[in-house]
This record gives sequence, structure tokens and C-alpha cells, in this order.
Amino acid sequence: MKEFAVFWGCTIQTRFPFLEKSTRIVLDEFKLPYRDIDGFTCCPEKSLVNNIDHSLFVATAARNVALADELDCDIVSPCTGCVSNLATVKSELNYNPVDRAQVNSLLKGIGREFKGTAKLAHLVPFFHDAVGVQRIRQKIKKDFAGMKLAIHYGCHMIRPSHALKNDDPLNPKKFDNLIRALGAESPDFPAKMMCCGQGLDRVDQHDYALQMARLKLKELKAIGADALLLCCPSCFLQFDNNQFLMEKEGEKLGVPVIYFTELMGLAMGYSPEELGMNSHRVDCSGFMKKWDGLKAKPVDTQSLEDELNKAGALG
Amino acid sequence: MLDAQLNMKLLEMCSGCGACYSICPSSLNLPGYDPRAVIKDILKGDMDKWLASKSIWQCLECHYCLEMCFQHYGFENAMTALRTIAAKRGLHPPQVKRGWDMFVKTSRLGEPALPARKKFGLPDPPKSGAEEFKKLHALLKEAKEKDARKAHNE
Ligand code: SF4
Ligand code: SF4
Repeated sequence: MKEFAVFWGCTIQTRFPFLEKSTRIVLDEFKLPYRDIDGFTCCPEKSLVNNIDHSLFVATAARNVALADELDCDIVSPCTGCVSNLATVKSELNYNPVDRAQVNSLLKGIGREFKGTAKLAHLVPFFHDAVGVQRIRQKIKKDFAGMKLAIHYGCHMIRPSHALKNDDPLNPKKFDNLIRALGAESPDFPAKMMCCGQGLDRVDQHDYALQMARLKLKELKAIGADALLLCCPSCFLQFDNNQFLMEKEGEKLGVPVIYFTELMGLAMGYSPEELGMNSHRVDCSGFMKKWDGLKAKPVDTQSLEDELNKAGALG
Repeated sequence: MLDAQLNMKLLEMCSGCGACYSICPSSLNLPGYDPRAVIKDILKGDMDKWLASKSIWQCLECHYCLEMCFQHYGFENAMTALRTIAAKRGLHPPQVKRGWDMFVKTSRLGEPALPARKKFGLPDPPKSGAEEFKKLHALLKEAKEKDARKAHNE
């Protein structure tokens, strides 16, 4: 496997270092060839930078990709926004030679060149494609059979598909496959593919952000999900932090929010404390209690195998 | 160079379509968010009333409309153009202004949380790219000014 740089992004490094912790634990467990790179900046955040100055949005992202290009490594990120923004710019420059020449004449001034050779992937599709469910299953000490884990993909894990090209943008499968490989049930629910709505918090519309969070969380309550599972710090902020704010106002929904890397860590025998899960705002102890009460059962390999191998399984 | 712009030809097509309206999470959940109304006004040459509105900042950039769109345009691109024009007039939300300031000054939206890193036994964070980024931003500004002078002289 080719070496890859982890693009942590601002939100994880600033607000959720425990998510970096669980990500490193999982990458180490699978002995994946990852590294850090000096000099990454904000990806940059599209809704913020692109709205004010598209050219700075493009130049900044191109420079970040160029850092990986130079070291001949790929980029993997546990943040959906970072990957999506970098990939959007990479595809824009790969398909527009004029823009690309303009950007490269700027980058030349700082001794860089965008080549666009670095492959970009979000951690979830990366685990699905490059590590694979078989290898994951071999590593599981205890699976999640008997648990109902509702998936929130996060828009930018899969869209825009012309830039990411990793799954069906309207009916994705890979995250579901991974969760089923971990033995859990991944229920369908009407708001499954709905955007988290965190963006509204970034434009001074907090009440609407809460309204969007509430919508999904209430559905999860109604279907009896044991947790909401996701892999994006922005979505995490929306469902963990904002749910906690609602709790403080007397509206207790009680849906634990679990990061993909935390779930993997738990399955491989790490404790919630080792994974930093005690830093969550919404209490995860109910989830842990139910899981601790379930007997370790092997995954039903045959039906999973059948699902994964049937025609059109990956859309 | 590289500026978000309204594409009137594509928007003409939108006026007879509206497919993205049926799947847009903001249209479905936020009162008053209506791509069709905005498109109508843009085509009438009456976009100004939207520039100071909250609506244009309610697009979540979820890219649903882009995926749905038969012209691969997506209503979000019209919204991005409107937000860019609004920001040029200083009409963007305070939080966006603060975020932008922080980004251009530091190259990111926050600094790594060092005490927490220690607590979790994380390695020192990689070096910041701020200095190089600021140089890049300055070069970009220069290039834009040059473009503007050229356009003015022509
Ligand atoms: S953006 Fe595309 S899908 Fe939406 S109204 Fe216009 S043409 Fe139709
Ligand atoms: S990107 Fe914006 S306009 Fe398009 S579907 Fe999402 S919220 Fe609606």
C-alpha cells in the first residue's frame, strides 16, 4: 500500500483531539503506512472561503495537495469536508488547464507545484476499499451483533461525486457494509441521507441548526437506534455538541454519537477511555452498558458475503 | 481570475425545471427557502433583494442539487455566486467575517489544542504552513490587481 498523509483538518485538531487519538489507534492497529506532513493549512472550509474568494479557495487547496504530490504520497482524512474540498479543487484543476496554469504560476512563487497525483480518500471508503471487510473482520475481538447503529454518511463523504468518485452519491453502500462487517444492524430511516445542518451554525443561524439536528435525532429515537454513527467532525459537532445544548435546555433526546474510529477501536478491544470517548458531551454509557451485556458472537459471515458479492452490491 | 459567477444560460433552463427543489434539505425544512423564487428574480434582473437575505446563507452545500441536476449546474452554484456578491458588499454574517479574518491571518480556523494533545499522548502537531500561505495570498492579491488594471485599460 502506498504511503499516505493524514489530513486532520482544523476542527479535529482544534476541538476534538480525541478523534485524532482514536484514528491513530486504528491506523496503528492495521499497521497502515501513514505519516504527518508539515505545512498543511485549512483545506480550506468551502462555505467560508469559497463564498468570499474562489481563487483563494482554489489556491489554498491546490497548495495542500501539492505538499503531498511532492512527497509522492496520497491523502486520507477522517474529515468529510476536508476531502471533499480538496477533491473538488483537484478535479477543477485537472479538467481546466487554463486555471491550472494560473494556479501553478502563483504556486511557483512559493516554490510549489500542483501536479494532482496524490489520491484523496475519506477514511471510511478508504477502509472499505483499501483495507477491506475481510481484514477488518479478522481483527475484531467482539462484534456489535444485537446493536442497531444508525449511519449518518455526511454529505461530503460521497458528494460531489464527480470529484470523489467513491460511492453512489444518492444511495451509498460502503459505510453500511463496514458497519455490517462489524456485526451491527444498520437501519434505514427517512432522514438517513439528510444533511446534518451544521452549516447553519456557521452563518449565525443556530436555531435552525438545532431544528435540523432535532429532526434526525427524533427519528433515531423513534426507531430505537442504539447510537448514531458518523465520521465527520462537523457532523459530530452538530449531533454531539448541539444535542447537549438541547439537553441543557431540558430537551433530552439521549442518542449517543459514535465516531467510526471509536467503533472500530471498541471492536478491537480498546476501552472507551483509551479512545477518548469520555470527552463526548452526550453520555455514551447506556450504549456501552447494552454492548457489555451482549455476548461476543461471531459475525454471520455467509449472509454478509452474499450481500457483498451480489450483483450491483456497490451501486 | 477564477470568480464565482451567475450563469444566465443555465439559469434559464432552471426556470423550467426545479427538480432540485424536491430534494433540497433547506427547501424541505426552512421556511422561505425557495430556489425557484430566487431564480425567477435573478432572471428578472432583481437579485438585489436576496443579497441581504438570510436565505442565501441557508444553502448547506450538501451538493444534492448538483447530483440531481441534468445540466450538472445545481442551484448551489447560483447561491454561491449570490453570496460572493453579497460578501463583496459587506453583507455577509458576522460569523463568516470572523472566520475569514482568522483564516487569512493564521491559515486555519483554530490552533491545535496542545494541553489536550498531551493528555491523550498525541505527538506534537505538524508545523504550520501559515507563513507560506500568507505569501501565496499576497501573490494572489498582486495578480488580481494586475488583472484589474489590465481590464481597466482595455
Ligand atoms: S439547478 Fe439543475 S436541477 Fe436545479 S432547477 Fe436548475 S436545472 Fe433543475
Ligand atoms: S447544496 Fe444548497 S441548494 Fe443544493 S440541495 Fe443542498 S442546501 Fe439545497
